[in-house]
Amino acid sequence: MDKEFITIREKETAVKIQNTKINAIRTKDIVKKGVRVYKDEKIGISGAIGDISDKALVDNAIENLSANISYPYDLSAELKDHRDYSKEKISSNDLAELAEKILERLRKEYSDFDFSESINTKEITYTMKNTQGLDLEYEDAYMSLGLILKDKKSANVFDGFLQYYGRTFDLDKFWEFNEELLAAYRKEVPLPEGKTLPVFTLEFYELENFLSRALNGELYATGSSIFSNKIGEQLFNEKITIQQNRDPKYRPQAFFDMEGVVLKDDAYNLIEKGRLVNVYTDKRTAHTYNLPHTGAASGAYDGMPTLSRAPLRFLVDSDDIKTALDGQMAILVAVSSGGDFTADGSFAAPVQVGFLFDGQRVIGKLPEFTMRSHLYKLLGEDYIGTFPNKHLYLGEGILLQGYYMDIVR
Amino acid sequence: MYKFPKDLYVDVRIEETFETRISFKKRELQEQKVRKNKGAFVRVFDGNRWYYSSLTDLDGIQEAIDTLAQMATPNPEIMEHPVVKAFEVNQDTILQYENNSVTDIPVAEKQALLEGYLNLLDYPEIVYHTSYYVDKKTKKSIYSSKGTAVTFDVQTCGIRLNLELAYKENKDTGVVSKAAVYFDELKGLESYFKEEVEKNLEFVREAEPVEPGVYTVLLSPLATGVFTHESFGHKSESDFMVGDETMKAEWTLGKTIGKELLTIIDDGTVVGNGYVPYDDEGTKGRKTYIIKNGKLTGRLHSAATSAALEEPLTGNARAVNFEFEPIVRMTTTYIEKGNRPLKDIIGEIDKGIYVDTINHGSGMSTFTIAPARAYKIENGKITTPVRVSVITGNVFETLAEVDAVSEEFELLSFVGGGCGKMEQYPLPVGFGGPYTRVKKLNVQ
Repeated sequence: MDKEFITIREKETAVKIQNTKINAIRTKDIVKKGVRVYKDEKIGISGAIGDISDKALVDNAIENLSANISYPYDLSAELKDHRDYSKEKISSNDLAELAEKILERLRKEYSDFDFSESINTKEITYTMKNTQGLDLEYEDAYMSLGLILKDKKSANVFDGFLQYYGRTFDLDKFWEFNEELLAAYRKEVPLPEGKTLPVFTLEFYELENFLSRALNGELYATGSSIFSNKIGEQLFNEKITIQQNRDPKYRPQAFFDMEGVVLKDDAYNLIEKGRLVNVYTDKRTAHTYNLPHTGAASGAYDGMPTLSRAPLRFLVDSDDIKTALDGQMAILVAVSSGGDFTADGSFAAPVQVGFLFDGQRVIGKLPEFTMRSHLYKLLGEDYIGTFPNKHLYLGEGILLQGYYMDIVR
Repeated sequence: MYKFPKDLYVDVRIEETFETRISFKKRELQEQKVRKNKGAFVRVFDGNRWYYSSLTDLDGIQEAIDTLAQMATPNPEIMEHPVVKAFEVNQDTILQYENNSVTDIPVAEKQALLEGYLNLLDYPEIVYHTSYYVDKKTKKSIYSSKGTAVTFDVQTCGIRLNLELAYKENKDTGVVSKAAVYFDELKGLESYFKEEVEKNLEFVREAEPVEPGVYTVLLSPLATGVFTHESFGHKSESDFMVGDETMKAEWTLGKTIGKELLTIIDDGTVVGNGYVPYDDEGTKGRKTYIIKNGKLTGRLHSAATSAALEEPLTGNARAVNFEFEPIVRMTTTYIEKGNRPLKDIIGEIDKGIYVDTINHGSGMSTFTIAPARAYKIENGKITTPVRVSVITGNVFETLAEVDAVSEEFELLSFVGGGCGKMEQYPLPVGFGGPYTRVKKLNVQ
């Protein structure tokens, strides 16, 4: 009988902020353990929060074999890969001091706004080991700052955000960018003229969710993906390459999937130069539907490996937004909540906070509007490009993506 | 029980959870998991700052209290602090699920129940499906240095069928679910599930794109619930209002918000996802009228916001689990039913949209609803299914545009998912109401 052990340790300090003052400090140090046992092509699982003995967890997993859940796949084996991405670990005291320093300046120079929520540091150690010689370890430490911005003259619940995520934090760069951003929050400007305008996004969750469903191997193979039967077809603008990407350089995540698979360069191309070349799969999906295995298993620490969604990333295909805009003013979307794609790819979303953007600098805050498009237009003829983020100090791994969209005022 | 340090306020919340999760992909069993966990959250307050710690070793609670106390500054006046004074002191035990508990049902019986419903999914249009049985029972104990000692349990269970649909070139997804408190309530649901499945099949076969525009919109009880939660519920969470004079002025109690027919309630005593016999600070759950007959009459509070705004406690301090501090959250939030039959309300609509089910919603100054199933209303009748990306409206204007609420009324809970507020997601909440007509909304 083979055994597999997953251990996640998370240590966190959170400085909680209300009305631009520290009102609480929270510490957390939690271990989550999962165990899988494999016997006669069956899998049994168990898990617990807290430092429970491996023996107790193995006994529970053996008991779970009676559920008769089939797992006739080879375990990941004979691979040792330990990686530590942490660069600097900030102590609770240092974090509180840093938070106070930022808040003091916000209170003094930006008293027309209120700031709330938190500044956190998190240290994570994530290991996966099995009796077939698999030995994977991912260590990381990062800071995240998420401050809700509220204009004191506004009757909104909130009016925007200050944010940062990364492994190193440069206070000077933070202020250099956020002085510009806060000045833009204070300066209301009208939307540029035109029915169709260039729109730039930093994190386009609706698009990522839609693509994640469409590129899911199970949905593809069963005919329920909008891309079903289209492998090999040119779907999008030929500039576009989309990867299943687990590189922790871009976001704080383990470099292996929940079946212990490590990809070459931590990535697998799904869309290449606009052409659909693969869909993402775990071992079961690849076997069942005769698709290439892309190492995309997900699942809880104490659960079955399964296929739900994979981390996707567009490759940078363009360099300079200002050059691409050629003097035209664009919109930078800061807060867009509640929009969605329909199943056939139509898209509409309200933009609660958007900025006038010249490709480098945010100029001023725009009134609320709605943006509209369709998947194949957005990533086809209306696609401008995916750009490195050179000017906006918001966090590591963030890209800027531009498209022309219809604007409803 | 615990040695609380002098001159500080301390409370301890201990949570013991039992959870079952069974899932199928098509007819193949994917997961059968029973999870039992324990954890605690400790808070220490010195009148200036709070100090929090979450831990899984319940034997370490006293040590956590002592460690946090060392970070705090003792305050001899702490019991006179407005927040500490605001805390209720309750001593009570309400263990109503000791019998008829989901913990007593064999996992094989839960699996068999779910498996039985898979027979309802044999249609060519359902090209793939995943299905879930979930349950959760939580026993909480809250102790405070002010004398609170309450222990209570809450329980929910549910079945959720996720459908992947394809018909010719049309693709869609559908969700059919039922939430309950007792396992037996999930039995015998074949007719309900069959009817809902067939509505999804009709939708994928016949839905056409909506013509964007401004429409009169009729919301089902489910859509009413999400609309209420997103458009207004979040704005009644008073932590958004503390220290904010503009918000206080905008949301002055007594202000007219809507027509006389509009009453909005948050009620922690409704059994279901939003059931809060005591909130996570040990305050007794209760019914709060947020809007009564069109006028703003209340808002939702923790002890801290209650003290800051000098308004009564409402029992709305909730944490998503033992890893987080309680913050102001909704419980079961709904529009009160009206006295008009649904058929009369529909009959008055010449051209409109009926929102039956939803994918998600959001709420700031503009609220949104992304419908799953929506239909045209033509000449007083619900007719063709339509695909709608999003319905939006300004919160203030929309509440004033509510011009009819039905006598038909339903309260619901989702199976899976829940409410998100910053880092704390998903919190189970209840929602619902009557069929609600909004005179004008943007439909895209």
